[in-house]
Amino acid sequence: MAILRTDNITMKFGGLTAVSNLKINLEENQIVGLIGPNGAGKTTAFNMITGVYLPTEGKVFYKDMDITRKKPHEITQFGIARTFQNIRLFKELTVLDNVFVANHLRLKSNWVSSVIKTPRYITKEKEMHIKSLELLEKVGLIHVKDEDSYSLPYGMQRRLEIARALATDPKVLLLDEPAAGMNPQESQDLMGFIARIRDDFNLTILMIEHHMQVVMGVCEKIYVLDYGITIAEGNPFEIQNNQKVIEAYLGVD
Amino acid sequence: MKEKTLDTISWKWWLKNLFTNKNSLYTIIAIIVTLIIIGVLNKTLDNYQIRILNLCAIYIILALSMNLINGFVGLFSLGHAGFMAVGAYTCALLTMSPEVKQMNFFLKPMVPWLANVQVSFPTGVLMAGIMAALAGAIIGAPVLRLKDDYLAIATLGFAEIIRIVFTNLQSITNGALGLKGLPNTVNVWWTWGIAIATIIFMILLIHGSYGKAFKAIREDEIAAEAMGIGLFKHKMMAFIIGSFFAGIGGALLGHLMGTIDPLMFRFLLTFNIVLIVVFGGIGSITGNVIAAVIVTIMMEVLRVLDGRMDFGFIEIQGIPGLRMVVFSIMLMAVILFWQRGLMGTKEFSWAWLKRVSRRMVFRTKDC
Repeated sequence: MAILRTDNITMKFGGLTAVSNLKINLEENQIVGLIGPNGAGKTTAFNMITGVYLPTEGKVFYKDMDITRKKPHEITQFGIARTFQNIRLFKELTVLDNVFVANHLRLKSNWVSSVIKTPRYITKEKEMHIKSLELLEKVGLIHVKDEDSYSLPYGMQRRLEIARALATDPKVLLLDEPAAGMNPQESQDLMGFIARIRDDFNLTILMIEHHMQVVMGVCEKIYVLDYGITIAEGNPFEIQNNQKVIEAYLGVD
Repeated sequence: MKEKTLDTISWKWWLKNLFTNKNSLYTIIAIIVTLIIIGVLNKTLDNYQIRILNLCAIYIILALSMNLINGFVGLFSLGHAGFMAVGAYTCALLTMSPEVKQMNFFLKPMVPWLANVQVSFPTGVLMAGIMAALAGAIIGAPVLRLKDDYLAIATLGFAEIIRIVFTNLQSITNGALGLKGLPNTVNVWWTWGIAIATIIFMILLIHGSYGKAFKAIREDEIAAEAMGIGLFKHKMMAFIIGSFFAGIGGALLGHLMGTIDPLMFRFLLTFNIVLIVVFGGIGSITGNVIAAVIVTIMMEVLRVLDGRMDFGFIEIQGIPGLRMVVFSIMLMAVILFWQRGLMGTKEFSWAWLKRVSRRMVFRTKDC
């Protein structure tokens, strides 16, 4: 059964069709890549899946449930988390609080019990705290847990964003250019990291990426967008030899 | 059944924790010390100074309520005077005796269902908060969909609407004539008691999971929403809690003044609170408490400037408003040297005090 499926979603901004008839099918535990030249509509596709944009046409299904018209925070509560292309951390919060606050959606207590600190709330808060620390341990940021998140170096900020997304207990993780701005060695590490979190957290991952090495190395299936149109889909080998893809990236004589 | 017993045991543990946990013990001691100081001040100061002491507490409540909305959730709301008006009028109308009401309403008699109501002061204050919170909920539902300056304009507009409505509801609020002879029940114990309760409430709220969610919304709405934090729900929550405390502050202010009229709740009142919040640091409870006290006292101390001054070689015949000029210069100086207010977003904590005192001890040892 497909865990996440988009049914011909189309996004039009006025006269411009950013994405047209996109059909994505994510099987459980897959790592899937979404690639394409700049402006191909990849991030728009992400925004439609996560509820930031309402698709002009088409539907998004999560485990056969229609989530097209749901709000972004509801979609996260169902189990779809994302990271952002231009890092969006909570700058003035510490590294630990960044992860902690992503647990907030699973908090069952209301605000009154958070103020009078009922035993149940305290227990839950402790759980959230421990879980956040474990996550930071896993992504290797435990030594900077009390720093302000904006003071971290770029690579760490990326990892923190992933940790924060993981704290929402997702089933599906959408990564928007996780390797952007990384050097080859860092990208190499990232590949291993992505594969590892997939296994550790039993995730299904959809990622947008420009680093071909990363995409080809880690993805089992790849969708290629160009000007909003899906020009190819298949395994890395098929994509590498697809004439249309080569044309889209390198141009035609 | 099993769960229930577990809960009661945990409550016992909770109480024990309150008194064995060092930090909460320090806090309790600090509160007692503060109350003793206030008790002493209450005995030694004259009436005018006690009035200022009361005003400090009221401005602490008002500043913290605005700080929750503007500082922690990052909503640029300027509707405070409106909620204060709702609170002040609710409490005044509920606590005034039927005879006083009759004397006030000489132009047009009061509506009968309100004319004979009289409740105790605590109930009145609580009702003031609840009514203001209700007003917050009604206004918040449409305007919290706006952002930044648009939100500021909308809330400002609503505050003015409340004021105009109160001016024209002759048979309920006595219109532009205002209400005179509010029961003189406010004393330092009421104001400072509520102020301390507000401070504790805000600290607990902000340190909890919801407080962190508020801050996340302030830092980045899109990311907060993507982390599963419902924007509208949390914004409404903060807005309503903020209006609740604004209403209580308004009620206390009304009773301290002894008389209220719609003109009291103009934008200038909101501006005074904004000034305190900016001065103390947007998003710092400590900063706001300090700023509320400093600003309130300065406003009174600088009153000398408005009067006649004789320097020996030159004599100034009182210039009304000079105090505000000096005050503005001081504010500008603060903003120039501390862009983010006195405290920024930093807070006082016992851990911080320990660190600082330890450092001081080491330094003296070195010397």
